[in-house]
Amino acid sequence: MKKILSICLFEIKRTFKKKSSIVVMLGMPLLFTFLFGTVFGSDADVSFRIALVDEEQSTLSKYIAQQLMKDEMIIYELVSADVAEEQLSGNEVQGTMTIEKGITEKLRDNEPVIHFQPTAGLATAPLVEQQVNQAIQGVDIYVAAAQVGSSYLDESWESVFGRLIENEVKIQVWTEQKTGISTGNPMMGVSYSSAGFSIMFVMIMMLSMTGTLIEARQVGIWSRLFTTPVTRFQVLLGYFLSFFIVGWIQFFLLILLSSTLFGVYWGPPGALLLLITSLLLCVVGLGMAIASFVKTVEQQNAIGTLVIISTCMLGGVYWPISMVPDVMQKIANFVPQTWAMEGFTTLITEGGTAGDIMMPLFVLLGFAVVFLSIGLSRMKYA
Amino acid sequence: MLTVTDVKKSFQSNEVIKGVTLTVKKGESFGLLGPNGAGKSTLISMICGLIPYEGGEILINGKLVGKHHKETKQMIGVVPQDIALYPTMSALDNLLFWGKMYGLSGKAAKTRAKEVLELVGLTGRAKERIETFSGGMKRRINIGAALMHEPQLLIMDEPTVGIDPQSRNHILETVKSLNEQGMTVIYTSHYMEEVEYLCRRIAIMDEGKLIASGTKKDLANRLAGGTVLKIAVDTVRPQFIEQLKAMDGVEKVIVLPENEIDVHMESKMETVSDVILLASRSSVAIHNMQLQEANLETLFLQLTGRSLRE
Repeated sequence: MKKILSICLFEIKRTFKKKSSIVVMLGMPLLFTFLFGTVFGSDADVSFRIALVDEEQSTLSKYIAQQLMKDEMIIYELVSADVAEEQLSGNEVQGTMTIEKGITEKLRDNEPVIHFQPTAGLATAPLVEQQVNQAIQGVDIYVAAAQVGSSYLDESWESVFGRLIENEVKIQVWTEQKTGISTGNPMMGVSYSSAGFSIMFVMIMMLSMTGTLIEARQVGIWSRLFTTPVTRFQVLLGYFLSFFIVGWIQFFLLILLSSTLFGVYWGPPGALLLLITSLLLCVVGLGMAIASFVKTVEQQNAIGTLVIISTCMLGGVYWPISMVPDVMQKIANFVPQTWAMEGFTTLITEGGTAGDIMMPLFVLLGFAVVFLSIGLSRMKYA
Repeated sequence: MLTVTDVKKSFQSNEVIKGVTLTVKKGESFGLLGPNGAGKSTLISMICGLIPYEGGEILINGKLVGKHHKETKQMIGVVPQDIALYPTMSALDNLLFWGKMYGLSGKAAKTRAKEVLELVGLTGRAKERIETFSGGMKRRINIGAALMHEPQLLIMDEPTVGIDPQSRNHILETVKSLNEQGMTVIYTSHYMEEVEYLCRRIAIMDEGKLIASGTKKDLANRLAGGTVLKIAVDTVRPQFIEQLKAMDGVEKVIVLPENEIDVHMESKMETVSDVILLASRSSVAIHNMQLQEANLETLFLQLTGRSLRE
């Protein structure tokens, strides 16, 4: 045990002696959290501004406007058609959104009810359209329910619809209980960025740390270690513990600093501890698996960075996963970041317990078992 | 101290160690000479327990290597050919780490690290990072790391590769002094002069086999001639070589690359003048001529037809 601890403590000391480690561990994630958090945040100075025109002025159109305005990423201004046009031509807004007359018929005939006019060359237009479509889908469900309800209750569907949206909160709670799927608002802003960039930079840090296995092999340290009275098990466990502890220190400091600097609430500590531990096991396993396929530290960094950045994109680390097409959302189920983000979202937005994040925990541990098995079975010792 | 009996090793179908047998006595300084690829490092790796051997047995103080891992590894200190140190850590940190791997801890490790730093002459640079050291200083700490637990058997694999003469002398003196204090040393190198200076008994390896072993005197007795005349000619004519071999006083003639010829002979002056005369008669121009007393390099050349540094 003494030798395992000696290897572990020596590796930790070595990590913290490098100035670059501190930058990757804390500097970069906090900087990215701040930058992305303010761009996507509710308290943002920079966000999408859209002029919203309600041509119908009915209960339904008002409800749609209300749903759209819940979006924290887009700031809507309810204005008249003339003002909207003026704002668009003056580049005061990034687009106009018009809820056109005849919504009921359009919804029934599956026709678009909102007309979106972005400013010329707005690169994020598809993103805004995606958000709008999501809001419309939500409304669609209530309209369908009202139409079915009206045939049973012998009432007009508008009346049923009115009653449904009056009880919207109760219906959402009931739906969540029955389906287990959250119907609440997605996590946004600094909280989202904190979770996302913590995951990404912990992965980068662990990639660099697992690279020490290759470095030790390259410079002959492993060969020398195995001429001493230590076993492979002791050496591997010593290294593994050091990766784990450094990962934990990094997460702890990021949680502490993001709570202090940006006021992020990370959720209940017990469940958070479990989620982070599972994620670290998975990430260390991934690093060891990559290390087992490459020959040099440079290859490890190049391939590892590529894997991390691409899977972070897929896994909703930079932007909410709901913004990407369905196919991508399905593929995202096969990357660990998706499940880590789901776990963090549950803890941060809903203050969930360990029971609420069982699925992400099991999936992350499953990934850990696969990655560690690959890494350990392919590990070259000399 | 160390007994190696008929040890073999193959990598896939390539047999790299072909039944090596040798014994190193307690307190002895034993040299293992051979060119690159001779199998020295593989043999050392098997003695250290790094790679398994396939036939025969290796015993350290009566303990079988491969079976009594802990005991045998605790008895030896290994100085690898690579600088197997952590470059971003200080010399002291490195020594303490390697000491801990041999079971030293706390105050005992610190005291021993100070002694080792003094032994390798780097006390004043204990807290400096290894990456700031010269090649020679790194080599000295590399040796120091193997001395932390005061091993009974010190195994050094090419410990002076690529260093300045001052550091080389320091290392050779340190090893000599350790041996005089009773530490058993196995020293592998392809620098013949280092092995000649340090070791009482020497074994020469080539192509996975021990081709000669014994004291320096034993090996000298095996030389075909006491003196070597090295000549460089414009062209090597087969007839000239045959006539050289047939000359009185010539024991052996070895043709080397780049038109060089080694003539092993018993007497000096008469034979030299005869060689010059023969070259002149055979229309062979001699560009360079050198007389050399026979040494281990010469013996190796005699036995294998190749140079130690090839």
